Amino acid sequence: MSPSFWRIVRFAVVMLAACSAVQARWLPTHDVKVRVEHTELGGPRIAVEYELKDPNISPESPAYVFLRYSKDFGDNWHLVPMDALQGNGFDIVERPGRKEVFWWGTDQTVVPDPEQIEVRVRAIAMARIPAGRFVMKALPGGGRDESRKTGPDTNLPLYHMAKYETTVAMYADYLNEVGGEGAGWNPRMARADRCGIVQQSNHTYSVAPGREDYPVTYVSWYDAMGFLRWCGLRLPTEAEWEKAVRGGLYLDGDQTKARPNPKPERRYPWGDEAPDEGGVYRCNFDGEDDGFERLAPVGSFAKFASPYGICDLAGNVAEWTLDWYSTSYHVGLDGFRTVRGGSWMAVPEGCDAVTGATQSPLQESSIMGFRGVRGPAVGP
Amino acid sequence: MDALNRRAFLRRSFGTVGTLALWPSARALGANDKIVMGVMGLGGRGTYLAERFAERPDVEVAYLCDPNTRRFARAREAVEEAQDRSPKMVQDFRRMLDDKGVDVLINATPDHWHAMASILACQAGQDVFVEKPLAHNIWEGRKMVEAARKYQRVIQVGMQSRSAPYVHKARDYIRSGKLGEVHLVRVYNMMQHPKRREAPDGPVPDGFDYDLWCGPAPKRPYNPSRQWLNQFDYSCGPIAGDAVHQFDLARFLVGDPLYPVAVSQTGAIRSLRDGRDMPDTQMALFEYDGLTMTLDASLWTPYMKKIPASIRDSDRFPDWPFCSTKVEVLGTEGFMVFGRHGGGWQAYDGNCDLVHSEFGRQADKEHQDNFIDCIRSRERPTSDVEIGHLSVLPFHISNISYRVGNQRLQFDPATESFTNCDEANQYLKRQYRSGWAIPENV
Repeated sequence: MSPSFWRIVRFAVVMLAACSAVQARWLPTHDVKVRVEHTELGGPRIAVEYELKDPNISPESPAYVFLRYSKDFGDNWHLVPMDALQGNGFDIVERPGRKEVFWWGTDQTVVPDPEQIEVRVRAIAMARIPAGRFVMKALPGGGRDESRKTGPDTNLPLYHMAKYETTVAMYADYLNEVGGEGAGWNPRMARADRCGIVQQSNHTYSVAPGREDYPVTYVSWYDAMGFLRWCGLRLPTEAEWEKAVRGGLYLDGDQTKARPNPKPERRYPWGDEAPDEGGVYRCNFDGEDDGFERLAPVGSFAKFASPYGICDLAGNVAEWTLDWYSTSYHVGLDGFRTVRGGSWMAVPEGCDAVTGATQSPLQESSIMGFRGVRGPAVGP
Repeated sequence: MDALNRRAFLRRSFGTVGTLALWPSARALGANDKIVMGVMGLGGRGTYLAERFAERPDVEVAYLCDPNTRRFARAREAVEEAQDRSPKMVQDFRRMLDDKGVDVLINATPDHWHAMASILACQAGQDVFVEKPLAHNIWEGRKMVEAARKYQRVIQVGMQSRSAPYVHKARDYIRSGKLGEVHLVRVYNMMQHPKRREAPDGPVPDGFDYDLWCGPAPKRPYNPSRQWLNQFDYSCGPIAGDAVHQFDLARFLVGDPLYPVAVSQTGAIRSLRDGRDMPDTQMALFEYDGLTMTLDASLWTPYMKKIPASIRDSDRFPDWPFCSTKVEVLGTEGFMVFGRHGGGWQAYDGNCDLVHSEFGRQADKEHQDNFIDCIRSRERPTSDVEIGHLSVLPFHISNISYRVGNQRLQFDPATESFTNCDEANQYLKRQYRSGWAIPENV
């Protein structure tokens, strides 16, 4: 099909691309173009072009790119199914550059009039966590087994995890797209010192000045799941979370074993040093000696990231996981979920790789947030 | 006094009762004064109670306490959000007792700490809200009653169902004679607990005062997978700890009978063979004067469900056959099935016709209201310490029966001891670690 046959019907520049320099942790996508192609036999398809310029994107630190579309002038938005896409710029994208994505199956069963479609492209910085064994010391129910090395159940397949906690700006973007009178939002989110998402009278959401890069808080487990489903991601399991902290036995995975993990039993993402050892502050915990009285912008302690370059697994906000809390008191009753990772209110040692807490999935707290994972489906 | 010397002083005070009389009496509360509380034990229940009390305009939560500092953050955040004021965070509860400005101890610790901390709080002039089950053993329960009376303290036990209006309606219905004469009450506690995953002994985590956590209980090597709930040293057990709610309700429904004269029991570890020393299956028969009460309890029955949240505070009834926390009241003319957690109740006549239904609601707030009211009025609360003692005592007897080979035990209310088994009497009380004993004379 010749280029002249193509008809560019709409340019949809992702709004967040114009935000702050760090894009409030959406990776910037530039020069987004959307067009409808009428193929000879296969019906219409939608082609999306965009530029992913971040030079740090690599197989180890790829972008997760997802597309959302509206067919009713922006009233309702939907995730484009990954299995309907082809090209080099969706799902896990391992190289920067010009990207082209083709969305097949956009006949009248999906979009009656393809020329009315709007598409938004968003990208999240991820870290690749290769398949292989790791040392898991957390026990179900909040216990720990410091003597543990590795075992038959500590072998995980390849997955990717967001490098940063989900930010206020990302979550506000989600709220503005899903709209409504507050699903996923609660009034405490308006507190500018602990979150900073304000609901306007027309049910749009704005971010308090300067709060864009802070981790979103006051999100229930259900809120977190809502955001991640919107993205096409899910919460990490406790095992995935803990492996992200320590790294596998081999940082390039068990297949090649070229990069042995120098500290596979490390206590913290950076190693075994306490978060404040030697007057060096390695994460955001209780008090202001670390430079932050309360929350810190995500990535503030990037120098002390995990072996995979994942930031803030220790401190800042404790993070929801997918796992049910499982001790005798709660099984089958309350559906409690586990949070991991300590927080800005935690004692330094509470920011380690093992400490966890149980929470009602309805709990909304200024010390809890979340991040997403792209990986194999996990059972309930 | 520096911290070390002060701690040494306080620790000595456990063993020298006479000095405890030096504790100050309660401060005089004005009608508009906030009641100042310290919360001991920051697990799920303690954090919940801290948050609920902090939300009240007539309460300030001034202290949060746990030997494990990893538990601080969640509770502190909840309290700060509720009352917009930071509580002091401490590992040692004796700092709260030492503060003359504290009126109340909220005791949400493991069972082995219920008596000691509550008694010390009474001696310090503080009222107490203590979680169920009241005490680790029979003797400690009696000492808690004695301390409350001697120091004229209010002790409310966390058996909140007793404060629910639908429970009172059920009691009135039975009192009116519509079931005839009630001679049999069945209490159920059919749960699903996981098998513990065993780990070797390990180092005590940083920030955890394990010695203080053990307190009066034996200080075993630290084991990260050990669950205190499943060990006699620390607990009355997961069955007693939960079933005491239903049993307390059952006692209330039939007029609070005092003591069983005998208890028969068969208990065993049938399914959860994971190093625990407490049974996962118990069938017990409690013989009261003119009344028989039974307990069906298990920890391995997944089809039996606690009443779900969607029913607890709604006009719905649980699926009775699969309700894990029900009580059945059998009279000569009628039958009542009753649900904990706001599950409501339904009554049937001799023809099996449904003759009365009453929906229910949970009553945490009513129970807390009652506690606050009693702090000001100095009246005995709905779940007074002696009620708590008499509701858990049958479980203690049942557990002792298990420990002496499932013997039928006869109990003397006057001495709160057994008349037909000397071996059983050794379990009325436990052995205390040096320096952590509760004295005979509290």
